[in-house]
Amino acid sequence: MSLLQTVQQEVIERLGNLSITARQAVESVLAGQHRSVRRGLSVEFVGHREYQPGDDLRHLDWLVWARSDRYDIRQYEEETKLRATILLDVSGSMGYAFGPQTKLDYARSLAAALGFLMIRQSDAVGLVTCDTAIREFLPPGSTMAHFLNVLAALEKVRPGGETSLAAVLDEIAERLTRRGLVILITDAFDDPAAFLKSIQFLRYRKQEVRLFQVLDPQEQLFPFRGMIEFIGLEHEPRLRLDGDRVRAHYQAVFQQHQDRLATGCHAACVQLETCRTNEELSTVLIRALAMR
Amino acid sequence: MIEFLNPILFGGLLALSAPVIIHLLHRRKIKQVDWGAMRFLLEMLAKRRRRLVLDEILLLLVRVLTIACVAIAMLRPALNRHNGRGNGAAISRQGRTAAVLLVDDSVSSRAGRAQPAFDIMKKLGLAYLDSLAPGDEVSLLLMSQLGTPPSDPLFDVEGIKSFVSALKPSYASTDIPALMDAGLNQLKRHINPGAELVLLTDGRKDGWREEDKVRWDDLRERLRGPKNAPVGSRQRPQVIVLSPASVGREENLGITAIGMDRSLVSAGSPAGIRVTVSNFGIQGSREVTVQIAVNGEAAGSKHIEVPAAGQEVAGFAYTFPEPGSYAVEASLADHQDLLAADDRRAVSIQVESSLPVLLVDGLASQGLENKLGFLQYALAPETDHSGAFKVTRIPLVQFTASMLQDYRVVVLGDARVLEPAMVDALERFVVAGGGILVGLGPDSDRELINRYWARNGEGFLPCPLAGAVTPPTAPVPAAINLGSPVFSGFGPKNDEAWKAAKVRSYFKLDARQVKASDLDPLLTLDNEDLLVAERRRGLGLVTLVATSLNADWTDLPLQAAYVPLVRGIVGHLGSFIIPPRNLEPGGQIVYARVKDPAKAMRAEDASGKPLKLTLGAWEGRDAVISEPLMEPGVFVLHDPTEPKPIYYAVAVSAAESALAPVNDREMAGNFEGGLSIFHTPEQVAASLDPARRLSVELWKWFLAAALGLMFVEAWLTRREATSGSGNRAV
Repeated sequence: MSLLQTVQQEVIERLGNLSITARQAVESVLAGQHRSVRRGLSVEFVGHREYQPGDDLRHLDWLVWARSDRYDIRQYEEETKLRATILLDVSGSMGYAFGPQTKLDYARSLAAALGFLMIRQSDAVGLVTCDTAIREFLPPGSTMAHFLNVLAALEKVRPGGETSLAAVLDEIAERLTRRGLVILITDAFDDPAAFLKSIQFLRYRKQEVRLFQVLDPQEQLFPFRGMIEFIGLEHEPRLRLDGDRVRAHYQAVFQQHQDRLATGCHAACVQLETCRTNEELSTVLIRALAMR
Repeated sequence: MIEFLNPILFGGLLALSAPVIIHLLHRRKIKQVDWGAMRFLLEMLAKRRRRLVLDEILLLLVRVLTIACVAIAMLRPALNRHNGRGNGAAISRQGRTAAVLLVDDSVSSRAGRAQPAFDIMKKLGLAYLDSLAPGDEVSLLLMSQLGTPPSDPLFDVEGIKSFVSALKPSYASTDIPALMDAGLNQLKRHINPGAELVLLTDGRKDGWREEDKVRWDDLRERLRGPKNAPVGSRQRPQVIVLSPASVGREENLGITAIGMDRSLVSAGSPAGIRVTVSNFGIQGSREVTVQIAVNGEAAGSKHIEVPAAGQEVAGFAYTFPEPGSYAVEASLADHQDLLAADDRRAVSIQVESSLPVLLVDGLASQGLENKLGFLQYALAPETDHSGAFKVTRIPLVQFTASMLQDYRVVVLGDARVLEPAMVDALERFVVAGGGILVGLGPDSDRELINRYWARNGEGFLPCPLAGAVTPPTAPVPAAINLGSPVFSGFGPKNDEAWKAAKVRSYFKLDARQVKASDLDPLLTLDNEDLLVAERRRGLGLVTLVATSLNADWTDLPLQAAYVPLVRGIVGHLGSFIIPPRNLEPGGQIVYARVKDPAKAMRAEDASGKPLKLTLGAWEGRDAVISEPLMEPGVFVLHDPTEPKPIYYAVAVSAAESALAPVNDREMAGNFEGGLSIFHTPEQVAASLDPARRLSVELWKWFLAAALGLMFVEAWLTRREATSGSGNRAV
């Protein structure tokens, strides 16, 4: 069963008519359910205003001039398309799995589900895969054909490389010139200071950001007993540690990281959704969308 | 100084390595895990590596210390502040005393003027027990019960006092080194730190066995303990001697031996009964009447005068009417002295109709010819009608193992070779109590004899042969062992009879592979080579004559001394009654001629009091065994299948009669310091103050430390599990 089929079967059944809405109006000229704050060319008339020098004469309402000899400009409310870019972290740490499913598998399904929901409501969805650099970039598109390309790209990603999202986010921020939504799907095992700074930069670039942090439950619990040799998935040096003895210290450091991440996201008005790979995907989607 | 009272548990200290070993094993079993969140581990280590290492070392240290404390507590350490004084000085005791009371309840302790020495010993013992405190433990070892299974020490000092009060002297003989040795062994069963060996003795010299240097050296080494061990510790116990004050040499007259004038007593022939009376006094000769009784019936009396510090033999002629067992009892009539136990003595005599002797001749012949012709006629001359020896002479080729069961003595005359099966049969024969006389000669093969008969001192031959020699000048017998029963027919006056017997050739004996004490020389040549020697093998005896028993190598058979010599040797070889019937106090009747176990036997003492008999085994045979016979006298066993009863005799040791005093200096000379001697209960009380206990046991402190360390360990473990996380859920 392909990723699409999986997503369709699960998401459609569980989500029904739930729709995704952007917090802010996006800059889109295309029709949709997302109200634009920009007024200008659109299909829905909202009123007149007096002509000001410099206004485009194409918007001058000639019928009003003919009836009342006034120069009024026609105003319209635009319905724009949501331009969402899903940024998927494919670094080595995303390849961790305690059970049968890696974090990347989970993240891939989550990306597909979100993309499908947006495509279903005629929004545009793009995909960026990255670790230390951008591995694949698919600009947003709203057709099902485009979405299939997104799914194909998702299916071929493999974990590898180190985590350095800050640089990638900066680059993405430069590339995204129009307002939009950036959905980050990552374990966020990165330097939180640099990572949050890059998120703030995205926000500065008029991008709404939603962060889905994918974790394996074992990464939080650290349930190892006895001597363990930890082999890093991102080429870190091997470590031999007594699981029982370092558990508390590890959990403290981990929690500290989580706290910093939560605080930083809150400050940047970024919605942080932490999801564990043992959670149902639909549960995570419902929880994330319900919080809006 | 700290000493350990359970040093046997020192091996437990190996447990100290357990945490380290577990730690190392733990490290060896490493599981590999692919891990994504390495940055947190690295960050944690960057912050806490030193702390983790320190915690690990601290935890390991605490665990090792915990086990160390438990192990040391089990070793029972005691802080000893003992000053090590002794020899009459006040005794500083350890925290708790482990006392082993060694009671010399021997015959001599019955002697005494105003009161028996044993009564004074009991008072001293009770005074010592009074000095003990609750928690002290006591063992009581009696001289008369040495060899019985040891019992555990008791904490019930009052019970021990009652037991001591009720003690009565026995008829056992004294062996102080053995008693001390048993005391040291018993001390190992104690657990208290302060060790005291308390010897309650009658102060008589008999039984100290000072001449036995080897045993005393061993004993002193055991008492000395490890280097620098404090006196009064379990490694070096305090030795306390409690004995009545010495009163000088005491007068005593006693029967010290009853014997026959020959090894083999025949029925119908007059035999001499010799009763030896010893006067241990020095004040002058004593006159006394000696009476004898055979099987309870008076058989004669004789008045003798016994010189001071000397002895006199009262001889009685008696003809035993028929073969069988007899009890000869001698007593001093109308006599009273310090020790009544030695004024009466009994002995069991076995009278034979004739002694069956098998002569195995190296060559087949009759008459005086060949190897054993002279011997045959010496044992059973045609003119001898007494029939003391029933002799059968066969050539070597007819000798079979089945013949041995019918004879008590076998004589091998210059036999060249024996089948291995016959050698085995002869070894079994002598071990079971038979007698073998081996004569050599020109046909004897040294190599074969050494290889099969001697077997490097393990075979039935008394010792290996070094080789045959023929000196240019034939040596003559020069020295005989007159103390041996073999020479009962000889005396100091007729030992010159040997001088004319020339020994032209003989085998030199190689006694190097045999302990000197095992080989008993009977006759020695003037060049100091052994001519006749005997050695006990198992329950039997083997006598080796290094020359021929005929005239091949010596003209001894042509001398007048030959006949009494060989009759003495053969009679001695066949004289042993197995199992023995003359016993020491504490011995048991062992009757191994049980023909029909279903027929009940009975035994009784001289007064008719029945003895308890049980069916057991002796040397692989069914045997009837009695309870221990503690008192001297005559005991009778009735076998329904035998026409006559069997007599057994229990006699006290003659050495007990001497009553020679031993003074403090002599007693102390047997030890190497650490000895305290007390003669009165007041001295005991003054020197053994129960309040003066200078040392403490430390095991409680170590256990408390272990408990504390366990709490520390738990706290450390818990701190590790919770530190840094603030108990927050992740």
